[in-house]
Amino acid sequence: MNVLLVMIPLSLVLLAGAIAAFFWAVDHDQFSDMETPSLLPLDDDPTRPPVTE
Amino acid sequence: MGTCCARKAGNEHAAPGSCWHCGGPLPAEDRLIATVAGERRAVCGETCRAAAERIDALGLASYYDMRAAPGPKPEAEGAAEAAVWQRPEIARHVIRDLGDGRRETLLVVDGVRCAACVMVVERALFAEPGVEDVEINGASKRARVVWREAETSLPRLLDALARIGYRALPLDAEALDDVRRHESRSALKRLVVAGFGAMQAMMYAGVLYLGDPASLDVAARDLFRWLGFLVATPVVLYSAQPFFAGAMRCLKTRRLGMDVPVALAVAAIYVASLIEAMRGGVHVYFEGVSMFVFFLLIGRYVEMRARHRASDLTDALARLTPPYADRRLANGDLERVGVRELMPGDRVHVAEGGVIPADGVLLSERCRVDEALLTGESAPVERRRGETLVAGSVLVDGPVDLRVERVGTETALAGIAELVARAQAAKPKLALEGEKTASRFVLRVLLLTAATAAAWAWFDPSRAFAAALAVLVVSCPCAFALAVPVAVTRALAVLARRGVLVVKPDAIEGLAGATHVVFDKTGTLTEPDLEVVRVDARDSMSSADALRLAAALARESRHPVARAIAAACPNAPLPAATNVEMHAGLGVRATVGGRELRLGRADFALEGNAATSMDEDAVLLADDTGPIAAFHLSERLRPDARIAVRALERQGVHVTIASGDSAQKVRAVAERLGIDDWHARQAPSDKLARLAALREQGARVIAVGDGVNDAPVLGGADVAVAIAEGAELAQATSDIVLSGGKLEHLAPAREIAAETLAILEQNQRWAFAYNMAAVPLAALGFVPPLLAALGMSVSSLVVVLNAMRIGRGIERRERQADRAAPIGTDRNGATTLEVPAA
Repeated sequence: MNVLLVMIPLSLVLLAGAIAAFFWAVDHDQFSDMETPSLLPLDDDPTRPPVTE
Repeated sequence: MGTCCARKAGNEHAAPGSCWHCGGPLPAEDRLIATVAGERRAVCGETCRAAAERIDALGLASYYDMRAAPGPKPEAEGAAEAAVWQRPEIARHVIRDLGDGRRETLLVVDGVRCAACVMVVERALFAEPGVEDVEINGASKRARVVWREAETSLPRLLDALARIGYRALPLDAEALDDVRRHESRSALKRLVVAGFGAMQAMMYAGVLYLGDPASLDVAARDLFRWLGFLVATPVVLYSAQPFFAGAMRCLKTRRLGMDVPVALAVAAIYVASLIEAMRGGVHVYFEGVSMFVFFLLIGRYVEMRARHRASDLTDALARLTPPYADRRLANGDLERVGVRELMPGDRVHVAEGGVIPADGVLLSERCRVDEALLTGESAPVERRRGETLVAGSVLVDGPVDLRVERVGTETALAGIAELVARAQAAKPKLALEGEKTASRFVLRVLLLTAATAAAWAWFDPSRAFAAALAVLVVSCPCAFALAVPVAVTRALAVLARRGVLVVKPDAIEGLAGATHVVFDKTGTLTEPDLEVVRVDARDSMSSADALRLAAALARESRHPVARAIAAACPNAPLPAATNVEMHAGLGVRATVGGRELRLGRADFALEGNAATSMDEDAVLLADDTGPIAAFHLSERLRPDARIAVRALERQGVHVTIASGDSAQKVRAVAERLGIDDWHARQAPSDKLARLAALREQGARVIAVGDGVNDAPVLGGADVAVAIAEGAELAQATSDIVLSGGKLEHLAPAREIAAETLAILEQNQRWAFAYNMAAVPLAALGFVPPLLAALGMSVSSLVVVLNAMRIGRGIERRERQADRAAPIGTDRNGATTLEVPAA
C-alpha cells in the first residue's frame, strides 16, 4: 500500500502537467485552425514557415 | 470547409482551353504565358499572369495541385483604393494599435474557397516584412493580422493579397474584440479541466466503491475522499462557472432558466459532500458532481460549435457598400475618401461600373443603374437629373456626379442590412417554445425537490438529503432545454454548408411541410445570359460547322447575342476572321477563309435582300450568295434547374411557374423543364392572388424568386426563397437564401428540414420519457445521486448526439451517388450535355 503514497502524488502532478500543457496549446492557437496544417506537409518548399513569435 | 483538396496531383481546375490561374476562358490570340514551377502555363490576362508568378515566387506552386476551386481573377486596380485605409479618419475605425508599434486588423478576404487558399493567403501575408502574426478562419473568410507599423502598412498588406488575386476588406476594429474566439477558447479549457477532473475523481471513487470494504480502514477511505475533493474543486469552481454565472443572470432578471437547477445541484452536491466528508458521513459524491459538470459541458460545447459555424457563414454576407468614394473638391479635382467621411451635401463622382457610395441626388444628365440590390429588378433602370440614387446600386453607364443626401446608417442599404440582422437575432418560434416549456419544467423540478425533501424528512430524515438531491439532478430538464436549440443550430449549420442560408429559422418548419413550389422564371429558373438552342443550317453544311463559322465572327463582339454564339463552341479551334467590322445594333461583318460573312439581324446579314419570314427572331449568318444558317437563341436555363425541379417533384411537391414574361417564353422554359403548370403575364398582384388561393386550399407554398422585386410575392408565401448571386442583399425579405445560385440545393434542403423536425420530436419525446421514468424512482429514493448525475448527463448527451445525425444520411447518400456516377459526368452533366446540339 505504501507505493500509493508515491503513485497518487505522481498522478496529481501528471494531471496538473497535462492541463497546463493543454492550456498552453489553446492559448498559442494550436486549436484555432484545424484545416490548413494538414496541407503543409504536401507543400514541398516552404520558403518561410508560418511560425509566430 | 469540409471538402478538401489534395485528391490528386495536377491542376484539375484548369481545363486545356482555360486560364491556368482563374479557370476563365483564354483569349483567341496573344495568349500570355506564366511560368509556374518551371512549366509554361497559358493565362487569360496580365493580372492572372502576375498572380500566378507571384504565387510561384512565394514557393507555393503546389497551391495549384491542392486547391479545390479555381483561383479568383485578380482585378487590375486595387492598389489605388488600398491607400484609402491609411487615412487617419478611416484607420481609426479599422486598425487597432497594440502599442509598441504593432497594429492589428481583421480582414474579410474574398475568394477564399478552400484550405489551399487559406495557405496561400497566409503565406503571402507572412512574406511581407514586418508581419508578425496571421490567423485565418477559412469558413468565415476572416484573417486577423498583426504587423509592425515601422516596416509595413495596411495598404501594403492589402496590395500583397490583391497581387495574388484576393480582395481583402478591413472590418471594423470592434469586430476584433472577438467575443467568439474568447468564448470557444475558454469553453475548450473548461471542458478539458472537467474531463480530467471527472476521470481522476472516478478513479479515486472506484477504490471506495469497488474495493473490499473490510480492507479499507477509515483513514484510507478519508484519504481517497479528500483526493476526490481535490480534483473536484477545480471542476466545480472553474469548469462549472458558466452555470453559476448563467443562474445569477437568470435570477437577476427573475426568470427560471436551465442554469438555475444545474447551478443549484452542482453547488448542493459539492457543499453537502464536503460537509459529509468532514463529518465522516456516507453521502460523499465528488465524482458525481465532476461527471455531471463534464457531461453538461460536452453538450454546451457541441452546441457552441454548431452555433459558431452557422454564424460564420451568414456573417460573410453583410458587407456590400464600397469602402471609399471619390469626392469632388471645389476646384473640380477628385479626392479619394472613405465612405465614413462623406457628409450630406458632398459632391461625389462615380465611375462606370462603380458602386454608389451613399444615397444622393443625380447631378449628371442621366445614367442607368442596377438596383438589383434593393428592388431585385436585374434590368438596369434609368435615372435622370434630380432623381435619387441609392447606396449599393451599381452604375451601369457613367460616369456621373451626385450630391450626397443620406450617409451611413440612414441609407436604404443600411436599413436592409439592419432588417437582416434583426431577422437573424430573432429567436425562432421553435426555440422560444422549447425555452418556455423548459422554464415551466424548472419550476416544477424545484417544487418537486422541496416536496421530496419534506416528505422524506417526515418518514426517514437520514435519507431526505440523498433523495432530494437525486430528484434535483435526475429531473434537471437539460435534455429538454437542449433538444430544440441543438437540432436547430445543427440544421442551420448543415444547410449553410450547402449554400442554403436560413435567414429566419422558422422557415425550417415551413420548408419541411411545403406542398407547392412556385418559381419565378427570369433570373430564377433561367440565367440572365442567352444561349443558342437551335441551329438551322442551309446548303448541306453541318450545324456544327455553321456554328464554328459564326463563332469566329461572334467572338470579336461583346454583344450578348455574340457572346452566346461564341460560348456555344468554347473549345473548338476556330477559323481566323480578318477585316472585322462591327455594326452597332446590326451585327458583325468579317472575312473568313476568303469569303465575306455577315452575322446579325436578318436585314443586315442578307443586306436587304428579301428576308424569309421565319428568320424574324433568329440571328442569321450569311454570305453574298445568301443565308448559311439561322441561330435561335433563348434564355439559358440554370444548369441545375432541371435537377432541382425533378428532385422536388420526386418529393411529391407540386411545381408551378408564375412569370411576368410572355406566354411563348414561359412555355418554352416550362417545356424544357417538364413543368405542366405554368402561368405567364403574371403581375405581382396576380402572383399574390395565386399564392393566396393555393394557401386557402390548404397548400403550404414555397415561393422562389431572384430578389426583392418579388418581395410582396415572396412575402405572401409560407416560405420565401431567394437566389443570391451578386445582389446578395436580396435575402432581405426572404426566409432562405440559396447562395451561389444553386437551385439544386432546394430539394435536399427540404429533406434536411424534414429530418430536423423528426429529430427534434424524437429529442423531445426522449427527454420527456426519461424525466417521466426517472423522477418517481428518484423521489422514492431508489436512485443514488451518482446514478442520477450519470442518467441526467447521458440523457443530455443522447439529445446532442441525436441532433448531430441531421444531414448525415443525405451526405452519405450523395457520396454513394457520386461514386456510382460514371467518371466525367457530374450530377449536372445531364443538362449541360444536351444544349448546343441542333
